[in-house]
Parts: sequence; C-alpha cells; structure tokens
Amino acid sequence: MTSETNYVEREVRVAARAETIFPFLTDPDKITRWMGVTAELDPRPGGIYRIDVTGQDIASGAFVEISPYSKVVFTFGWESEDTMVSPGTSTVEITLTEDGGSTIVRLRHSDLPELDRESHGLGWDHYLGRLVIAAVGDDPGPDPWKATDAGS
Amino acid sequence: MVQHQERTSGDIAAHFPEVTRPAISQHLKVLEDAGLLAMRKEGTKRLYQAVPERLADLKRYLEAFWDDRLQLLAREAETEERRSSIPDDQRN
Repeated sequence: MTSETNYVEREVRVAARAETIFPFLTDPDKITRWMGVTAELDPRPGGIYRIDVTGQDIASGAFVEISPYSKVVFTFGWESEDTMVSPGTSTVEITLTEDGGSTIVRLRHSDLPELDRESHGLGWDHYLGRLVIAAVGDDPGPDPWKATDAGS
Repeated sequence: MVQHQERTSGDIAAHFPEVTRPAISQHLKVLEDAGLLAMRKEGTKRLYQAVPERLADLKRYLEAFWDDRLQLLAREAETEERRSSIPDDQRN
C-alpha cells in the first residue's frame, strides 16, 4: 500500500452467474432493487448514470465502459455544491469474474479525496451487501438510509 | 455544531468521515422530522440549524422523565426497605 492509493476496493461473492448479475448494474429497474429510490441509466459510453440514492442524495456521472457480463465503468459524484466528490470527479469500476458456480464482484472506486474514502467504502459495503441478496432474486428489504416521510 | 449557525449537510458530513453521505442525510432527516433541526434549501445545498425552542422542550421532557422515574425509584426502594425491616415473625 502506498500513500498514492486514491481508491477504495471491495469484493463480494454472489451465488449467480455473471450474466444474471450484469443487469443489476445497468438496468434501472434492477439496480433500484439494491441501491436507490429511482435511477436513470443509459449504459453506453457517455450515457447517463444517475441514481437518487436516498431521496435526498443524488449520485451522478456517466458510463465510460460497458463490457457485457464482465465489466462496467462509470464516473461518480454527488449532485451537491458542498461535496468534494462532484459528479464526474471519481470513477467506479466493477468487474464480474465467474468462479465455480458463483461470481466474484470486485468494485474499485478511484480518484476519491482522502477524507471521502472511508465513507464511500462503507457505502459500498452497505450496497454490495444488498446486491448479494438482490442478484439471487431475494429481497434485501427497505434501505435503512432511505429518507422516510414524517410520521411513517 | 448547528446550535448557533447554519451548516450544510456536506459540512456536517465532513465532520464524520466514517459515516456515509446517505446515512448522514437519514439522521438529519429524522432530526428535522422531529422538529429539532430546521432545514432550508439553497440551490443544491441543504442548510441545517438547531431549533432552540424544540431543544428546550426536549430538555424539559427528559428532565421531567427522570424526575418521575427517580421519584418512582425512591418510592419503590422505601417500600422495599420497610418490608425488609419488619422481622419475619411479624409478617402476615
């Protein structure tokens, strides 16, 4: 590990084929089963990547690379003036590698300012944990980070 | 942090590097719904400040809560004390 490391990396194993998991990264209906309230995704280079994660926090960027069933790369940031991680300033690369009957999902989030690395790593822990459940067809339940209306 | 000045959600989040932005938003929303924080939007920023009257209400409530509980504790303990100070042969 060097001081130049500017990314966080996470890895989960999903009990499904890469072909099954891939749409959970590119299809708005499927991605919101594990992350986000609404999503606008245009999975082609330059296409929009925009997810309202909680009803209050919008993650926004653009797809860079889409290699069916093995790799998705998109830029990432928050639509807010008061963040160090503005839209397009960081990059997320997700690779799918089949291994036996399951698939290893590796996520690397690069170009993050040092102060924002830990929180984003924890965010991906949270959401990849939900992907592991959603990608095999189960319900990860409501996202505890989702904004709820008063009284509900 | 927000008692005497407004702060943006990002500024608040920056004080908690081990908490994700969505989780910070969730906590702030709960406090806002409870009326303890006031929020106003300015462009894409959300600014939060404490609502002193509601915090005072909460402080009063908590103090009254513990006053009540402590009185109950005192009463129960005194009853227990009287019971255990009665010799066995005088109990009915």
